[in-house]
Amino acid sequence: MILLVPEHLAGKLRPSARELVTAARALTGLGDIHALLLGPGAAEAAAEMVAFGVNARHCAEAGYEPFTAEAWTTAVAGFAKELGAKAVLMPATRSGLSYGPRVAVRLGGALLEDVIEATSDGTSVTAKRFTYLSRVTETVRTAALPVVISVKVNVLVPAEPAGSAGSVAATELPVEVGRVEILSQAKASTGGVALDEANIVVTGGRGVGGPDGFTKHIEPLAACVGAAVGATRAVVDAGWRPYSDQVGQTGKSVAPNVYLAIGVSGAVQHLSGMNRSKLIVAVNKDKDAPIFKVADYSIIGDLNEVVPALIANLQG
Amino acid sequence: MNFDFTPEQKEIQRLARQFAMEQVLPHAAEWDRAETFPVDTVKHAADLGLLNIGIPEEYGGLGLGVVEEVLIGEELGYACMGFDTIILASDLAVTPIKIAGSDEQKKRFFPPLLTGLGAFCLSEADSGSDASAMKTKAEFVGDDIVINGTKMWITNGGVCSMYVVLCRTAHAEGNKGTICVVVPAETPGVSHNKLHGKMGQRCSYTAEVIFENVRVPKANMLGGLGDGFKIALRTLDRTRITVASGSVGLLRRALDESVKYAKTRLAFGKPIAELQAIQFKLAEMKMSLETSRLQTYYAAWLVDNDRPHGQASAIAKCRSSEAAFAGAAEAIQIHGGYGYMNDFPVEKLLRDSKLNMIYEGTSEIQRIVVARSMLK
Amino acid sequence: MKICTILKQVPDAEASIRTAGDRVDLAGVTFVMDGMDEYGVEEAIRLREAGHQAEIYTIALGPKRFEESIRTSLALGSDRAVHIETNDVLDVVTQARVIAEAVKKEGADLVFVGGKEADWDSSALGPALAEALGWPHLDWTTKLTLTGTVIEATHDTDTGTENVKISLPAVVTTQQGLNEPRYPTLPNIMKAKRKELRKATPADYGAPAALTTTVGEAIQVKTRLNKVFEGDAADTAKQLISALRNEAKVL
Repeated sequence: MILLVPEHLAGKLRPSARELVTAARALTGLGDIHALLLGPGAAEAAAEMVAFGVNARHCAEAGYEPFTAEAWTTAVAGFAKELGAKAVLMPATRSGLSYGPRVAVRLGGALLEDVIEATSDGTSVTAKRFTYLSRVTETVRTAALPVVISVKVNVLVPAEPAGSAGSVAATELPVEVGRVEILSQAKASTGGVALDEANIVVTGGRGVGGPDGFTKHIEPLAACVGAAVGATRAVVDAGWRPYSDQVGQTGKSVAPNVYLAIGVSGAVQHLSGMNRSKLIVAVNKDKDAPIFKVADYSIIGDLNEVVPALIANLQG
Repeated sequence: MNFDFTPEQKEIQRLARQFAMEQVLPHAAEWDRAETFPVDTVKHAADLGLLNIGIPEEYGGLGLGVVEEVLIGEELGYACMGFDTIILASDLAVTPIKIAGSDEQKKRFFPPLLTGLGAFCLSEADSGSDASAMKTKAEFVGDDIVINGTKMWITNGGVCSMYVVLCRTAHAEGNKGTICVVVPAETPGVSHNKLHGKMGQRCSYTAEVIFENVRVPKANMLGGLGDGFKIALRTLDRTRITVASGSVGLLRRALDESVKYAKTRLAFGKPIAELQAIQFKLAEMKMSLETSRLQTYYAAWLVDNDRPHGQASAIAKCRSSEAAFAGAAEAIQIHGGYGYMNDFPVEKLLRDSKLNMIYEGTSEIQRIVVARSMLK
Repeated sequence: MKICTILKQVPDAEASIRTAGDRVDLAGVTFVMDGMDEYGVEEAIRLREAGHQAEIYTIALGPKRFEESIRTSLALGSDRAVHIETNDVLDVVTQARVIAEAVKKEGADLVFVGGKEADWDSSALGPALAEALGWPHLDWTTKLTLTGTVIEATHDTDTGTENVKISLPAVVTTQQGLNEPRYPTLPNIMKAKRKELRKATPADYGAPAALTTTVGEAIQVKTRLNKVFEGDAADTAKQLISALRNEAKVL
């Protein structure tokens, strides 16, 4: 058995759910694909899984929302054990990276973290993942099943509905009241397109000069092309943009079709979060900026002149 | 033989490098342009314990040796030779007290130097290499010493806590009449004029220091009557080693910048690093760097192990400063037209490095020291 | 109170990573304490400076070269260290098991672990360690206050931030912004010489076998066009838009 734990929002599967199916289908010899969906809206989302040939179970208890690592660990590990799952897959989102390792330890199995590819021969699983700040691709193998696999988001091609329809049913699971008490939540609202789902990202770096530079140049440029707005660590440290906008080692990892780095120097930690972008464009007035080494298209110039020119060109 | 650093030495080097790269290097060009003495950064260095590390432990200091100073000197010199001079020249005040002061004097003079800069006053307008021609006069009046005269080219003059001043007396002519006196900076009669217009090391505060009827207790005299010159020479024998280390750091910087440039600059269809002429220049700089560094560490090791070190330190200082100057010039050459512009870091290296061949004993004096040590 | 900081050494971010055959070759690479671990050490010291009576100790699991970074943590303010020395490359779950045994033996109320580590790009050690200890964990922590034995903290989530409350004992993983790590001072570097750096091996903590093996490493290669547009702002902007539209066909 392979157990998927897809994420859903307001009763709809998140795009990463179909990526999990793709990952699961590549694990030959590990059995049928099952899914567990937790929290309010789980039932509707579970129904969507059926078309992919997945046997989905849902437990819509309120206790799974908001996410706590302990509640999800107990539910997933318990269900996986009951199922006799050989592999447990979840998206490598902050939540996934938070409870996945706990499930691995609880089940006494291995963890393959943030993978971009995984295959199986029935007794072992081999996966590819990035290491050394996304500069190296590592191939790693484990025979210590059950294995917990967190799948990097936005890498695998989303699965198409296929095969005979799976089943869907509710399931009862104990809700562990974890020891982390959530006092309040603040959703980051920079509006616009979500960073990790965007096709085009426009990131502003320290060269933008200040929050005004973002309002004047970066946001309008992003709006022109329907892009999400990103920020470098320097920008977030300076307080110009919130953490949720940050791209890089300690921020988000994105791989859009086009990544426009405006006034970004290109530190390794930043590159590790965007160097898989299909096309990279860089605008910086420092010709020695490391970003130019990884850019497909470069303009060495003052962004305060170049960006307005880009906008004018796009609108005209 | 052991060429390894101790774990503590590696930590000290790591701290000095991190501090130099994060706090000094990013501001060096701006300080150079405006002749800014970076008070806050100097205080930061002092707060981290990088200042006057040779003060013995029993007087509240770290009791570290010249090898540790060299480690710090090389890293600071890499980032900015001017800043290096501010911090390491302070040792010119610590060393005389260390080698010639009594326990009572050390108890009095070391505490302010734990957090404050020191300045060493030997040179005058009319006497540099010919130090014994100095005119600053000290008179014994009762239990006091009264000093009159003007010292020139004083590093940290005007921004220090303590001056160590070489004076002549009526006691005897020439060297035999000299004394070495500690003058706290706040003593009435001490004033200074900052010297403007230096070619390089412009963030280092250099001044003409005027002593006008400056009165200090006789108990501020280090050593005895006639010991002044000896103390000065023994001090310079030691402190010139850190000048050497700053030169090594500067040369390493010149080399790093040149390698970086040579790898990316294209000419005739390929990076200039593939041209033999450039490779030879880089190799030459590297050879000078390695030999200068080794000689500098050797001289430092001799001091820390109580061996005679005058010759070794003169060799280190002379070779390192000349190698740094030549290396900086070569770095400009490798950078071509860009090397000549002040928005590239290498022209500053040349301007900074020249002074290292002049102060704390000119290259010519170093050669005399080396020759004499062989011929005596 | 006992605070434990977990530490590892990783290649300097500026180092170029090379491979020899199908493995990464770290010969000649400079190693540094992982920046994420620095936040942990700094936070522990700040808690002590804020008045919490705490013994702070460091645990590091790795080869001999980790000693340098361990000494840095001692110079920063950790009271003592345990170096579980091994040349084996252990997967993060196995690491968590070994370290959990060590923490149990030494005793701790609060354990700091670096967030996303810069060698294996992993953020799993914190959660895995917490599970092995049977403790709650808090990840991507950007702010923390401790009152008695209760932590109130802020941490990043997928959609924003959360303010939470946990009682000790707990594992906290750090996130950039938690604090600004200090420089070690020279006096503290010298004092560190006298601090205890005890050696141990994984065998002392159960010697669990590694659960995964690395079968290959390859430098991620993506050739880029490296095309530079020349001209003034209006000119280059025009060329870029044209390239995006007609060449790359992404607009």
